[in-house]
Amino acid sequence: MSEYVLELKGITKIFPGVKALNQVRFQLRPGEVHALMGENGAGKSTFIKVITGVHRPEEGEIFLEGRKVEFKGPRDAQAAGIAAVYQHPTSYPDLTVTENIFMNHEIKKRGMIQWKEMNREAQKYLDQLDADFKSTAEMGTLSVAQQQMVEIAKAVSTHAKIVILDEPTAALTANESEKLYRIVDKLKDEGVSIIFISHRFEDMYRLATRVTVFRDSQYIGTYEVDKITNADLIRQMVGREISDLYPKPEVKFGKELFRIERFTRTGYFKDVSISVKAGEIVGLTGLVGAGRTEVMEAVCGITGFDEGRVFLEGKEMRIKNPTDAGAAGIILLPEDRQKTGLIMSWGLGRNVTLPILDKFIHKGLIDEKEERSLAKQLLEDVDTKAVTVFDPASSLSGGNQQKVVVAKALAQDNMKVVIMDEPTKGVDVGAKAEIYQIMGELAQKGYAIIMISSEMPEIIGMCDRVYVMCSGRVTGELPRAELAQEKILEYAMEKSAGKEATA
Amino acid sequence: MAGKSGRTISATPENVWKKQIFSWEGILVVIFLAVIVLCKLLSPNYTFVNVLREMPKYLTEIFLLFPMAYILMLGEIDISVGSIVCLSATAGCLISNAGVPFGAAAVLTLLVGAACGAVNGLILVKFPELPSMIITLGTQIVFRGIAEIVLGSGGSVSPTNMDGYRMIAGKIGPFPYIFFLVIISAVIFAVVSAKMKYGRSLYAIGSNRRTAFYSGIRVNKVIFIAYTLMGLFAGIAGLFLTSATYAANTTTGKGFEMDAIAMAVFGGIATTGGKGRMVGGVISAFIIICLRIGLGQINMNSQLILVIIGILLICAVLLPNITGSLRLKKRD
Amino acid sequence: MEKKSIWKRIADSREASLVIVLILLCAAVSIRNPAFMTLSNLEEILKNNAVTMILALGMLCVLLIGGIDISIASTLAFTGMSVGLLFKYGYMGSTLLGFLLALVIGAVCGFIIGLVIGKGKVTPIIATMGFMYIYRGLAYVIGNSQWAGADALGDFKNFALGKYLGFGVINNVIMVTVICYIIFFFVMKWTKFGRNIYAVGSNEEAAAISGINVSRVKIAVYTIMGLLSGLCGALATTVYASAQPDMQTGKEMDVIAACVIGGVSMSGGKGSVGGALLGSLILAVIAKALPLVGINSLAQNTVKGVLIVVVIILNVITKRVMDKSALERREM
Repeated sequence: MSEYVLELKGITKIFPGVKALNQVRFQLRPGEVHALMGENGAGKSTFIKVITGVHRPEEGEIFLEGRKVEFKGPRDAQAAGIAAVYQHPTSYPDLTVTENIFMNHEIKKRGMIQWKEMNREAQKYLDQLDADFKSTAEMGTLSVAQQQMVEIAKAVSTHAKIVILDEPTAALTANESEKLYRIVDKLKDEGVSIIFISHRFEDMYRLATRVTVFRDSQYIGTYEVDKITNADLIRQMVGREISDLYPKPEVKFGKELFRIERFTRTGYFKDVSISVKAGEIVGLTGLVGAGRTEVMEAVCGITGFDEGRVFLEGKEMRIKNPTDAGAAGIILLPEDRQKTGLIMSWGLGRNVTLPILDKFIHKGLIDEKEERSLAKQLLEDVDTKAVTVFDPASSLSGGNQQKVVVAKALAQDNMKVVIMDEPTKGVDVGAKAEIYQIMGELAQKGYAIIMISSEMPEIIGMCDRVYVMCSGRVTGELPRAELAQEKILEYAMEKSAGKEATA
Repeated sequence: MAGKSGRTISATPENVWKKQIFSWEGILVVIFLAVIVLCKLLSPNYTFVNVLREMPKYLTEIFLLFPMAYILMLGEIDISVGSIVCLSATAGCLISNAGVPFGAAAVLTLLVGAACGAVNGLILVKFPELPSMIITLGTQIVFRGIAEIVLGSGGSVSPTNMDGYRMIAGKIGPFPYIFFLVIISAVIFAVVSAKMKYGRSLYAIGSNRRTAFYSGIRVNKVIFIAYTLMGLFAGIAGLFLTSATYAANTTTGKGFEMDAIAMAVFGGIATTGGKGRMVGGVISAFIIICLRIGLGQINMNSQLILVIIGILLICAVLLPNITGSLRLKKRD
Repeated sequence: MEKKSIWKRIADSREASLVIVLILLCAAVSIRNPAFMTLSNLEEILKNNAVTMILALGMLCVLLIGGIDISIASTLAFTGMSVGLLFKYGYMGSTLLGFLLALVIGAVCGFIIGLVIGKGKVTPIIATMGFMYIYRGLAYVIGNSQWAGADALGDFKNFALGKYLGFGVINNVIMVTVICYIIFFFVMKWTKFGRNIYAVGSNEEAAAISGINVSRVKIAVYTIMGLLSGLCGALATTVYASAQPDMQTGKEMDVIAACVIGGVSMSGGKGSVGGALLGSLILAVIAKALPLVGINSLAQNTVKGVLIVVVIILNVITKRVMDKSALERREM
């Protein structure tokens, strides 16, 4: 028996034009939880796909319990006892939980699927994980946390010896994360080895014994978790020193710039009132699903609302669609860059100028030269890592995509109110600092800023004032001096604790 | 602002001409020339004047190509246009037979078409959950159905006063009027899609409808206009079709939607939206028309010509996919 | 979790509401015209709609994987003509052989389409549009635009009149339909292959990751669609006692409409054999009922089209209302 259940040596994976992995190695001990960290684009996801047989590496060897193996496809890896829970649940929304769990290893008798037995077995796995839903439920009706639980049940059902969790807590609330930690502990106790990818340091400290760091497609090192400091780890991941993650400037606030009163949309939020002064950064936080994004999307005319009034510089506004909002100077930077923030197949330049085409129109025609030079200017202002304005948005890392979204907002020079929805979600540490920097500069210039975020450190680090939402209502308002994680959480979970017990 | 690293981003396009020549449109021009040479070799009658003389019959379908290209760029589809051609042609004949002067009857023909298109557009805008394929499948049956009702048991109508229809079928030298109208429309549609805000909006919506909406593009308006244009041009096609066939019946325009889609797709305008250029669609339309005329001159079975066009279409979309995957394999 | 009331279950289940619609429809028609509910009339309806009903099964699979196939009527005509001509020129006399040959030709036609879509990565609407031209053209070309009439078909046409497959009680054609439905019901619910179809349609990427060979599933589905089109080619030839190159033109739209009414989603993953059955039955009953309740036969298509549009719009509206009421119940 080898010392390691899984060992990879000298793995190189080349995609057209890029080396996604360059001579990477990795060792997993039996029964350990091993964190894998690195910035976005460091090659973690590709590496996982090599282990699960989705990608075949150009060079390198894989050893399972000391024996050399070669995976021709995901099937081989599954047969070898490797299961992965991917970042975006790879589920089938139209099928039941049972089918999702047993996909491709159905219980059959004489070629016929045994539904009763499968439902019973699936329920057994769910019960083990303390799931609060039935195995016959349709996957699409479950919450993200519940879907993740199904994915884990699926891994358990294949009797996997190695389970890979790819950013499992990214979409979970604090409560749900805690539940996930317990499940991971339980798996570990049963002798399963776990590879854990996450951007959250909390996850790593809570679960892992060792951590391996990748940077720029290369292996940097493996460390004992309790022997490495946070700062050292960040330096390994980023490759340079980050002095101040939250560069919050001192700004003297102007008069109130933006106010919403008693915003209500049946089933989403109720009686939400928020105000922002010029130069102020206001946080809007709460658990996922508390209605934060929904309020702001209604303000910007993306969805309708039933009641409520919007005031900009003291004047009441009527905003029926995003075009009106843009014209009024209320700019939303949406959370989902791929689906609502950018057009991924387009060049960066055209993405930036999409909301302001009218500026370049002479006699009905678009002056593309003028358009490109303005786009270039704006992209350089936010320090985007790109070669030309024609680079497709899909070729950038998450952090740089976010910078393009910022540039797109800055392009609208009538901007007064900036609403940033989870501006650093999926953004690596280096780019995060740069985005906070830009946010601070915007505040100094006198814009009113609303930041929606679930991440406590950035809420506490960047905001002058914070509104906390819970189940569609504002449950608390805290000035900067009173910002503390416990207090925010208390407001955020006001009712949900009771709710979870009955669900 | 930030920008402290001093990194610069290039904004000058490179290899503009090279990219034009090696684009799909460049390949289409070569195919076009090849088709002309081939037909010339096959048929001694394949002269410029002869081809022009036969062209009007086929040109009506190009009117459908223009707005269809827009709708495909949007990532939508409209399979009801053949029926709109039928209904507007029928309406035109009946209105003109009721004693309305030709000019007014012609305008009303176009209005009937535009109204049908607007109905499609309205339903799609009000019910964005529904795929356009299904809605236009329903209206395809309805529009032709209405034509069937008004045509009655005879199933066909001819204008009693042909003067007006004959007039629009006229020529300047060897060029029929419709030829000029097609060229003018092609230029306008190409300029709008490539150089104007409406065109940019088409591509934005076709590439990512939600991002376009979030960015302040008036998505509903753009879609509604595209479908109304589609109806309007189906009306124009109906008018010219009547002037070429001197009648409208229940099968008028059947299958036109597929021909228009085929021309657009062959021209590089993908049904998935956000891709392709008007120029490609127009060149591919002329390739198909010139090929049809040439093969028709050597008395090839018209159905065999359809088989050839079908094979060409499949090859045209298959080819880039195959070469693309081969290139990927090579790099590996 | 609380137990759902039986009424809520019916309201939630698409099939149950379709059954109610079908029963109401039949009841309404029978009150107006008692001749509707007679056995011979029902037999007639089933026999004449066997083609739509069987094709709806194949279309169900195609739509489930997020595809579409508009070439089925052409495949049907091509196989129908092939078989018809073989009988006409005396190369074949056995009915069984005729059916087997139709199945093989249809399957090969479908397999080719499957290859282009599954391996060539061509969008389904474009690929099947190309083959719609190709197979329809071939149907004309192989017979040199001739057709096979009743006297040329010999014994083959008697298949549609006989009842030997149905134990002397049920018509052969209906029996074939029933067998197809039983097989599909079983395959779609109880076999791995059937579930893989749902999986691919529900999330193609996930299916690939969990080790399902997606392109193989696609090829298989289009092959099945072709196989059923071939079967229907033979069936249509015996039911109408003739094979013509233009047979069943436009049938694909009826079949898609039947599936959509039956609740099959155009975007894949959602739909059932029961839905396909009920959808095609509802369409069949409506077509038969209109003349019985005194609606002019000229208006039939309009009514059918309006119905399709209304049904799908009603679906969206009920869904919106249900979502809204669910939201109102949500605790704030």
